[in-house]
Amino acid sequence: MPDGFEDRELVERAKQDPEAFGALYDRYFPQIYRFAYSRVRDQSLAEDVTSEVFFKALRNIKRYTYSGHPFSSWLYQITLNAVADHYRGLHGEVDLEEGASLPSTAPAVVDEVVRRDRSRRVWAAIDQLPRQQRAAMVLKFSEDRKIEEIAQILGKSSGAVKLLLHRAVERLRRELPPEFEIGVT
Amino acid sequence: MNDPELEELFGDPADRAVVDLLKASRPAAPPLDPHFHNYLRAKLMTEAQRTLPARASRSWFPFTLSPKTLAPAMAAVAAGFLVVLGVEIYLHGQTAAPQVAYNIRQIDKQTNVGTGEPIVIPFSGPVDKTAVAESVVIQPATSVTKQWVGQNLVIIPDHPLSPNTTYSVTFKPLATPTPTPKPNPVVRQTPAVAPTPVVVHFTTVRPPVAPIVPPSFTSANVNYGYDSRLADSGTILSAAWTPAGQVLATRPVGQLGPGAPSPSAGATPSATPSGPPAPKATSDVWLMSSLGTPIRILVPGGSLPAAAPSGGLVAAWQVASRNQVSLGVWDLQGNLQATLVTLNAVPDRAPVWIGEDRIAYVDQGRLHVVDLHGTQASGLALRVGQGRLAASPTSPRLAVDAADGPVIVDLRAGGSPIALPSGASGFAWSSKGDLAFLVRQGTTSDLYVGADGQAFQKVATSPDGQTWSDLSWSPDSTSLLLATTATNGNGTSPTLLLVNRDGSSPTSFGASTKEYASPQWSPTGDLVLFTRGDEAGGRAFWTATATPSTSDSAANQALAEVAKFMLARINSDSVAAQAELDESGLAAYQAGASSLLGPAGSHFSRYYPVTVQASGSKPNTILVGVRIFSAKNGVETSFFEEQLALVAQGQHFALVPPAHRYLIDAVTASPTMPLGHGPTVVSVEVVQTPPGEQVRVHFDADLKPETVSSGTIQVKDADGNVVDAHVSFDADNHLATLAVKLKPGTYQLVVTTGVTDINGAALAQEYDAPLVISR
Repeated sequence: MPDGFEDRELVERAKQDPEAFGALYDRYFPQIYRFAYSRVRDQSLAEDVTSEVFFKALRNIKRYTYSGHPFSSWLYQITLNAVADHYRGLHGEVDLEEGASLPSTAPAVVDEVVRRDRSRRVWAAIDQLPRQQRAAMVLKFSEDRKIEEIAQILGKSSGAVKLLLHRAVERLRRELPPEFEIGVT
Repeated sequence: MNDPELEELFGDPADRAVVDLLKASRPAAPPLDPHFHNYLRAKLMTEAQRTLPARASRSWFPFTLSPKTLAPAMAAVAAGFLVVLGVEIYLHGQTAAPQVAYNIRQIDKQTNVGTGEPIVIPFSGPVDKTAVAESVVIQPATSVTKQWVGQNLVIIPDHPLSPNTTYSVTFKPLATPTPTPKPNPVVRQTPAVAPTPVVVHFTTVRPPVAPIVPPSFTSANVNYGYDSRLADSGTILSAAWTPAGQVLATRPVGQLGPGAPSPSAGATPSATPSGPPAPKATSDVWLMSSLGTPIRILVPGGSLPAAAPSGGLVAAWQVASRNQVSLGVWDLQGNLQATLVTLNAVPDRAPVWIGEDRIAYVDQGRLHVVDLHGTQASGLALRVGQGRLAASPTSPRLAVDAADGPVIVDLRAGGSPIALPSGASGFAWSSKGDLAFLVRQGTTSDLYVGADGQAFQKVATSPDGQTWSDLSWSPDSTSLLLATTATNGNGTSPTLLLVNRDGSSPTSFGASTKEYASPQWSPTGDLVLFTRGDEAGGRAFWTATATPSTSDSAANQALAEVAKFMLARINSDSVAAQAELDESGLAAYQAGASSLLGPAGSHFSRYYPVTVQASGSKPNTILVGVRIFSAKNGVETSFFEEQLALVAQGQHFALVPPAHRYLIDAVTASPTMPLGHGPTVVSVEVVQTPPGEQVRVHFDADLKPETVSSGTIQVKDADGNVVDAHVSFDADNHLATLAVKLKPGTYQLVVTTGVTDINGAALAQEYDAPLVISR
């Protein structure tokens, strides 16, 4: 993880220096794009969201103050808001707590089982989780974020994030097909 | 589990098993357009330069940049995919002067550099900018515009660079550093150019070689890829393709880009000698790359451009004087070629080229046709409506939405216009001369197609509640793209539909949740230009990638074997290289027909396929021409070409055709040609253009047009006789085209040393290549 003192210094410089902002962009582009894509499952839309995230970050970076959380948490927050804004625009208000799954171009889990490898099947199953659970799972298992950071990104308490993760894992246990042989050995 | 948080959270062993599975898995990397990162970065940096406070200038910085200097080059930097060259340049001044050097990350020796993008060279400290810019030499010879943006030297090619070419940018030493103006009495020492030349190399993209079997654009064959925004909404008002795949755009006055006037100067034409000052223009016509990079301003104060079918000319309207506009013709360098007419009202639509020498336009509701000398065609008094005006690319015919009903006007016949079905609109001619149009019927649309602009048939009808518009033909005339819109007024955005010319197999094109309007297929069919609204109510131009699936499996298989063969040779792996040869091929190399590995003291550094052809005389044989470069001490010094004959193996045993493997059976090699001593031929392509062919010869340098002629580029038959050919030259694309009529057989293309680059350097050696015509 690149977050740290060096990062904070770079953020402070980026408030006045375009080149420093460019360095921040270079540093965080891959994970923000990856996270955006994990949420929308559409390349063009992920590009739009990523673009919006960094333009919003540029517009607001002077107001950003270090609060003990990594700078990336702030970018993830903006990403989530941008994704939510998009789906609000498409489908009206969306229940961000446990709303229906996002429209996904990913095939059904059963189809995935047939034709994809084990790892991809697991992540296809995660794609089918309710959006808050999915966000928590991606941040934890793909982006290796700490629960406290995830809580800050999602605007929830740590306890609520733990509950989301717990529910998600329980659901995966139920829905992953038998050949995964999940159980106590 | 190795994560205390997870261990604490998941006590149940069954849950832990799932968590372990998740920890051991990673989601697949998402699909990512390789250009997107740079594209977004350039846009962000433009915005950052505009919105973030500039850092205080260093006290010793001796230059100030006026907006006039800064603006165009800034736009070049911001525009998109820049070529940034890593260069370490030590600047040398007087004894007390500092050495200035800058080295950015791994940028020298870049490959896959785009051909239409500016080159940016960053410097670390104060330099004599004039001296540095003047010292730049680019090989192969390339006409460029050089500008400074801060400490970045921006080099903008006047023509797109050539593909498959290694360029060198040399900073030549100057005998005497150029004195620099002193902004104040304090004596400053300004480093100048290095005492020894500094050379930077980069290589441009390798486009696909023209296939034996052209790809088919039938609707089931075309795959949608991804969308890219050409420019921010509101910064392009209209856009259309040029035949070379660049974009002609009408942009609001004040847009940044190479050659743009400074904001303070505006783009208003100066006062006419006898009249009042011209009215303030609101737009300019620009040439842009397909990635959205502004290349140059073509028509200041211009609007609604139209590209000639070929030949690099553009017609557009330009503000002339108060309440007047002129119809003019410009070349792609922005040079005015002719002013054809001047009108008292600004037309609401673009002029339309009829072939290469006539232009149709509408003035005050009447159709006019004018030639390039400004002579009006007589006998036309047609009143026209608001619909589309479209000209056939194969004959002088115009489809016109006339006030009395839609018609086809045949300028050859001089007779009465030919009536089209009532309500016909949205005319689109294919490259083969077929005409398609739509007829609205209540809440549906009928699609009509007529071969060669005759015998129209209704081939498809839209579903009830859906109307069609904006027809655009595929390059091979096998299918049409169109925009579909729901008529029930529920705010559904238009989407795209691909339908075959006979109305069959309608297929959606594009991302399902996105808006696509006004599609225009690019000349080569790899991009679709379209518009899309944004949340703020603006509208932007976008491109979507489109790929036809290829059925050219034999050529692909042969090219794959050649790729393995060449990689082994570049790696000096003679065993792996010999594995691609059959007995005859091995014997040919052993007998010295060509060198399997690089000559002593050098090595093969890169290659690219030039041609792939089916043998006219031998079945199951594919001929692949490759160009192979040799390097010494990391610098390319020469190249030669091989013609490889690949023969399908095990034909009599093969039950499944794709199982054939090709091995190299024969080779012939050209003489070695030195690099850096004049222009070279980059590629040769034979294109069927019934009733004849075009032989297209691409060069790597900007050439003197007068040296490209039937005397310097020839096609010879098997007896060595020169075949009659009409030679034309497209300077913007370094492309010489020979229009010929060839029977099946083998011919020889010859390019003599009479061809010279813009600096007068001749082809280092005569070039010849075999042309195989098989039908």
